[in-house]
Amino acid sequence: MQNNITLQSAKENHELRPLAQKPDSELSLRSLLDMGFTDTQAEQICESVSKFRGGGFTKHALSSLTTLFGLGLNPTSVLKVLQKCPELYTVKESQLQQRIGNLRKVGFVEGSLQRLVVYYPQILTVPVKTIKNVVLFLREKCLFTVQQVTDILRDSPAIVQEDLGQVEYKFQYVYFRMGVKQAEMVKSRLFRFKLDEVRCRHCFLERRGLYETPDKKGQTFIINPKLDSFLKVAQDTFLTEVAKASAEEYSVFQRLMAREWQEEDRHHSRIEADSDDEEVEEDEDDEETSGKSGYRKQRKT
Amino acid sequence: MMAILVDTRLLLRRVKDFRSLMPRRNRVKEKWAATRPKNPPTRLALQHFDATYSVQLGNLWPSVRVALLSERKYGALVNNFSYEAVLANLQAQGCRDFISDTHTETQSCFEQDKAVEADKELGVSMKTSVNNSQQHSALQLSPSIKCVVFPRGDITRFKPARPDMHGLLGYYLMDAASVLPCLALDVQEGHSVLDLCAAPGGKTLVLLQTQAIRFLCLNDVSVSRTLRLKRVLNSYVPKQFLSDEMLRITSFDGTKWAEVESNTFDRVIVDVPCTTDRHSLMEDDNNIFSKSRTAERRRLPQLQLELLLAGIKAACPGGEIVYSTCTLSQIQNLSVVEQAVYLARENHGIHLEVVSLRPLTHMFRKTFHFTPDLQLGEMVVPHLAANFGPIYMCKLKRLT
Repeated sequence: MQNNITLQSAKENHELRPLAQKPDSELSLRSLLDMGFTDTQAEQICESVSKFRGGGFTKHALSSLTTLFGLGLNPTSVLKVLQKCPELYTVKESQLQQRIGNLRKVGFVEGSLQRLVVYYPQILTVPVKTIKNVVLFLREKCLFTVQQVTDILRDSPAIVQEDLGQVEYKFQYVYFRMGVKQAEMVKSRLFRFKLDEVRCRHCFLERRGLYETPDKKGQTFIINPKLDSFLKVAQDTFLTEVAKASAEEYSVFQRLMAREWQEEDRHHSRIEADSDDEEVEEDEDDEETSGKSGYRKQRKT
Repeated sequence: MMAILVDTRLLLRRVKDFRSLMPRRNRVKEKWAATRPKNPPTRLALQHFDATYSVQLGNLWPSVRVALLSERKYGALVNNFSYEAVLANLQAQGCRDFISDTHTETQSCFEQDKAVEADKELGVSMKTSVNNSQQHSALQLSPSIKCVVFPRGDITRFKPARPDMHGLLGYYLMDAASVLPCLALDVQEGHSVLDLCAAPGGKTLVLLQTQAIRFLCLNDVSVSRTLRLKRVLNSYVPKQFLSDEMLRITSFDGTKWAEVESNTFDRVIVDVPCTTDRHSLMEDDNNIFSKSRTAERRRLPQLQLELLLAGIKAACPGGEIVYSTCTLSQIQNLSVVEQAVYLARENHGIHLEVVSLRPLTHMFRKTFHFTPDLQLGEMVVPHLAANFGPIYMCKLKRLT
């Protein structure tokens, strides 16, 4: 089985020495050693490639390796990248080159491009079109500048695999509800955090009277803490420095909020489902929710 | 033929929804405006509280504020008149009776015993300590009041109570902290009790659970609220306990109670109307902070004072009065009591003694958060982990 792979890869790679033509597992290891991998690294690669054997994509493994080397990564980084994201073995060389080219176009210069690939190799598995859409979305729907878009992709590349509807909701929550402008969002690395996390910390501060939504002119009665001062920090720091609350309070609050949002979602979906009826009402047979109107009296925020 | 069958079935399904039988003009519909009013009453209430309570409570306010704005916790008052094994059922769900729980805790827990002793030692020189120990034993005498809550930090909700075979409901969901004024009232066998502002009936139910009251007089100024009180009583208490010899429900103006009868009752509970802090923050409808009710709100402390004075006059000499509110406001709590004590002495020659509720708060300090060092009375403040209250209570004893 192993032979198969080496045969295929050997056929493609003309630079390999004649020795590689022998259909032998030892030889494929050797070719990897020639690329600069250590013994153990080479074995690891062979092993992970063999896992993809069934897919029939193994012929791309070598081209992926060369492309990554072409980016200027050293063997250790290449191995790290492939361990983080073994799917890269299966991507066509032309696609890989295209995607790298696109990232350069988006604004990643040498150095930052390599750092991005090592930090989040999955970005090379995402089609060019998707990335273009994300960039367009950030530019047009959220009005980020070109530089800010690059910064967002650099700091939180996972955004390219998220649902853009959710991303937009998060952006609008932070923009309208919290009154935070784009520059500060980029600075605080907003898109690294889940919406619930952002919302929970914000609501906690708001209900404690430490955060206020600015009015039309951007004025508040109190000085709001900066987004990055309470988002980027660990929970302990958030509680002691910003919220000045106990961990017990926050843990209860998180659970309460989770339930509140769950109910809100259920309520909304119910409105949508019942939209042909004139009115939305409680399910009489749903004991879990009926008679809980007293509990549900929430402040409309 | 098939079509007709299908139609009738559809029709039946429609009819099951009784609301569709109600004429549309009579259905209550919430206002669905495109824009909300600029300053809804809940917002006004919050601004008002921010201004007053941040000064009054200081560092405590943010934590109270977040608790007030989050979902409250309930306690389930176990209905002794119900035939179902309510308590066991609730305990199986993970709740505990916080009233009996403290008894065992203070008895079993070595550390706490020591703390209690230390407290007593400190208080030996003071006259109140005698009172304290007396109350300690007296409070243990009402084991029939059981109120279960979920443990600290647990946010599980109670299911709505179900009727038993006689149609009586198993438990009554209420703010667990509202049980405290009733416990503080310390009703003994054969007492006659007046509840000056009884509706909607939570506290009344607690008092009835003792089954020690010889005569209970319930009053509330609003007729619609007394009707609700009657409904609550009917769904929790068997008919024979609601006979005219044992119970009287009236709708007088409580402030004029002295014109009806005075110096009669052994115990009087005055649970006055107040700014109902938690409610005012949550509900825009009929909110006391709405612009149209400003005058009424400003008059509240005066009304509360009059009600308390009426309650004092209705108690017999030696009788005890508990004043309670569900607000954190000092003007509606301490000031009212202070003034009432003063006015009772000056205008009516009634001398009153403030009875310390420290033993009570000490007992329940695991379940509730109390404000430390209140000069007069005790106050439960909401906290996220124990989101009960706010409840203020102060106990007075008529000396003359």
